[in-house]
Amino acid sequence: MYLTAEFPDAETAAAAITALRGRGLHPAAMDLFSTTPIELAPGVLDRPSRMSLAAVAGAVALCLLTVGFVYFTQHHYPLVTGGMPLFSFWATGVVFFEMTMLGAIATTFLMFLWESGLLRRRAIGPVPTVEPGSIWLRVDCQTPQVAEAGECLYHAGATKVERLK
Amino acid sequence: MEHRWGMAIDLDRCTGCEACVAACHAENNLPLSDPDQAAKGRAVHWIRVDRYYEGEFPDVRLKYMPVLCQHCDDAPCEPVCPVYATYQNHEGLNVQVYNRCVGTRYCGNNCPYSVRFFNFFAPHWPEPLPLQHNPDVAVRMGGVMEKCTFCIQRIQRGKRDAATEGRRVADGEIQPACAQSCPPEAITFGDLNDKDSKVSRLAASGRATRLLEDLGTKPKVFYLQRAK
Amino acid sequence: MATTLPATACDQVRDDIWRPMRGASPAYVAAVAATALLVAWGLFCWGYQIGHGIGVAGIRRPTMWAFYIVNFVFWIGISHAGTLISAILRLTDAGWRKPVTRVAEAITVFALMIGALFPLIHLGRVWLFYWLIPYPNQRLLWPNFRSPLVWDLTAIFTYLTGSIIYLYLPLIPDLAQLAAHTDGWRRSLYRALSLGWTGSDRQWHALERAMKLMAGIILAVAVSVHTVVSWDFAMALAPMWHSTIFGPYFVTGAIFSGIAALLVVMAVIRKMMRLEAYLEPRHFDNLAKLLLLMCLLWLYFTIAENLTVWYGNAAAEMSVFAARTRGRYAVLFWTMVALNFAVPFVLLGIRRLRTIASATISGLSVLVGMWLERYLIVVPTLSMPHLPAAWGSYSPTWVEVSITVATFAAMALLYLIFSKLFPIIAIWEYRHVSDG
Repeated sequence: MYLTAEFPDAETAAAAITALRGRGLHPAAMDLFSTTPIELAPGVLDRPSRMSLAAVAGAVALCLLTVGFVYFTQHHYPLVTGGMPLFSFWATGVVFFEMTMLGAIATTFLMFLWESGLLRRRAIGPVPTVEPGSIWLRVDCQTPQVAEAGECLYHAGATKVERLK
Repeated sequence: MEHRWGMAIDLDRCTGCEACVAACHAENNLPLSDPDQAAKGRAVHWIRVDRYYEGEFPDVRLKYMPVLCQHCDDAPCEPVCPVYATYQNHEGLNVQVYNRCVGTRYCGNNCPYSVRFFNFFAPHWPEPLPLQHNPDVAVRMGGVMEKCTFCIQRIQRGKRDAATEGRRVADGEIQPACAQSCPPEAITFGDLNDKDSKVSRLAASGRATRLLEDLGTKPKVFYLQRAK
Repeated sequence: MATTLPATACDQVRDDIWRPMRGASPAYVAAVAATALLVAWGLFCWGYQIGHGIGVAGIRRPTMWAFYIVNFVFWIGISHAGTLISAILRLTDAGWRKPVTRVAEAITVFALMIGALFPLIHLGRVWLFYWLIPYPNQRLLWPNFRSPLVWDLTAIFTYLTGSIIYLYLPLIPDLAQLAAHTDGWRRSLYRALSLGWTGSDRQWHALERAMKLMAGIILAVAVSVHTVVSWDFAMALAPMWHSTIFGPYFVTGAIFSGIAALLVVMAVIRKMMRLEAYLEPRHFDNLAKLLLLMCLLWLYFTIAENLTVWYGNAAAEMSVFAARTRGRYAVLFWTMVALNFAVPFVLLGIRRLRTIASATISGLSVLVGMWLERYLIVVPTLSMPHLPAAWGSYSPTWVEVSITVATFAAMALLYLIFSKLFPIIAIWEYRHVSDG
């Protein structure tokens, strides 16, 4: 059972979320919808993210792959150019750097798609129609808790509460 | 032991007759150009004779310097080619692979001796000149770089003949077209790895200098001239 | 604590920014037709060049690189507009940048696409360009990773990928809004491109985190890209090219020309799309101050480069230096100094003269000046190599001039199409007003 509640600003929405969490609802069951990013105080509705770590990991991975690839190709068909050694870090360092950055870029983008939940096929639940200036909170809770949650939302300052399947 | 081909050019013998230029044209199927294109800097001369005038009239001295690909050991043209169309082979020759060249012309810019030439158009020869073509040398297409190869076709033939007879190539047996045609025998070609070859002895002589040596390209063409 | 604009103001914002996307005025249609015609002519010239040989251009020995490489460096330089505005100003949390970011990011992507075309145009056998790309093949050949041209390939590919993603990410929320308020083919397009964006806080968090990461990455890549492009020259032994200053010099010049291009594009958009309320005089003022700063930096680098060459008095370099400052290229050189330094310094340094109009004029002046600077880097050095017997000259032909003009038209055309399909100001970012 989904409850959607409209709030006039971020403070009331934050109060509602805190209240609901106090009643035992998990942050994963709550989603805030808006047309601009809403900044809440830390601890209200934190979403853990692995994006930075993944970007570094992706960068390092593509870097190592590139080093290995360049080393392999320059030894596989050895051609001497300009008296330079076959594999020279300095002569090819730029390629390593660029591929490192490309690894970071690609991983960041893929992690964005993953963490945002875009492109996922599974049902994401009903989405309230958000217009500029309004903030909607959607709560996924069990049927027995609906009344309690609804009361909590009104108490926090919601201007409208609806029930959706 | 591997060969290491090098050349010695005696500037005190060079008369500036340009027989070497003509011979190179004939031997290597060099493209022709017309006065219009030549004025635009598109003429191709794998070996050219540079003229340097010293002094004021009437004490003018004229110095001739045949300049061709120096087949540098640390050739600056090689590492900049993105497709490996030019590299140094095991005999020290700077080879140009026409089929691989995509025509970025970076090598031409990086050669300090300006000995690299580009086919801005597809080469053409008015009839009956195509009958004169050397069948041992590829005819290049438009869009590829070319330059002196030390007459690699003659080197290959010389090595092949010697191998057939079961012997090593003798000194002076392989002569590029320019060396062969030079009337005062100013151009000497040979194996620098052979300490007794004429070119090795000339290169070790006190008169041997190299062009733009301070750039660190390690050219294998030695210019012999009276030290000033 | 961040706030959002009240609802009525938001709707006004949305209406103002969406209005230019509707319909097509006669001026717009004429502009598209004219630029498309020029682009078609440019493509014809390129085809002509491929068919008849590079010789139909003015390139020759010893100036084996000329207009096409000048244009290449110029356009890659312009592409630094987006990086500066979007990345640097985003990282320093400069709020005034918000209406300007998408304009700048679009310039970056299109300039990169056009710039990346020129290495193809200047190739002798362009149909074999793919040999620069590492792919397994029968001949067991790989590209030469030691070549600065292959570095170029990796750098520009990375930068283009990053810039497209960097343009696309903040576009997603706007596209979702558009999808909800349009119909027909536009609705399908926006819905597909918005990837099912709903505006949930998870999505916003992911977007903001990705933007922050991308800003840092793109900055590093942008610096490296123009450094690598400069190393096409600096790695060569040619006189006055083989200089350690080229990396920072080119990056500075790139940001310089990027801001100039941004000013010009902003001025045109402001007038044509009636966005006077959003692209305010303070935006032009801030960008003008940045342009002034880059102008001084450019002057510093130019003096540093030329002074060290002159003082060192090396023979080969002095020939090129003399040709640039006193000889054959002197007129172009001093025009460049006037356009790059004198004009912006006077127009933007004197506060009373610093207006939107003067900022735009300075931008145009710098664009011409920077193109001349690239020309003066490439051509004089190549025309006077180490051995004087090989000295030559250069003059362009109608083929090169046509293709150059066509690429400017291509930029305009891409921008015209972009501004008709996508909102030119990031609405959600604009609304997201932060205090301070």
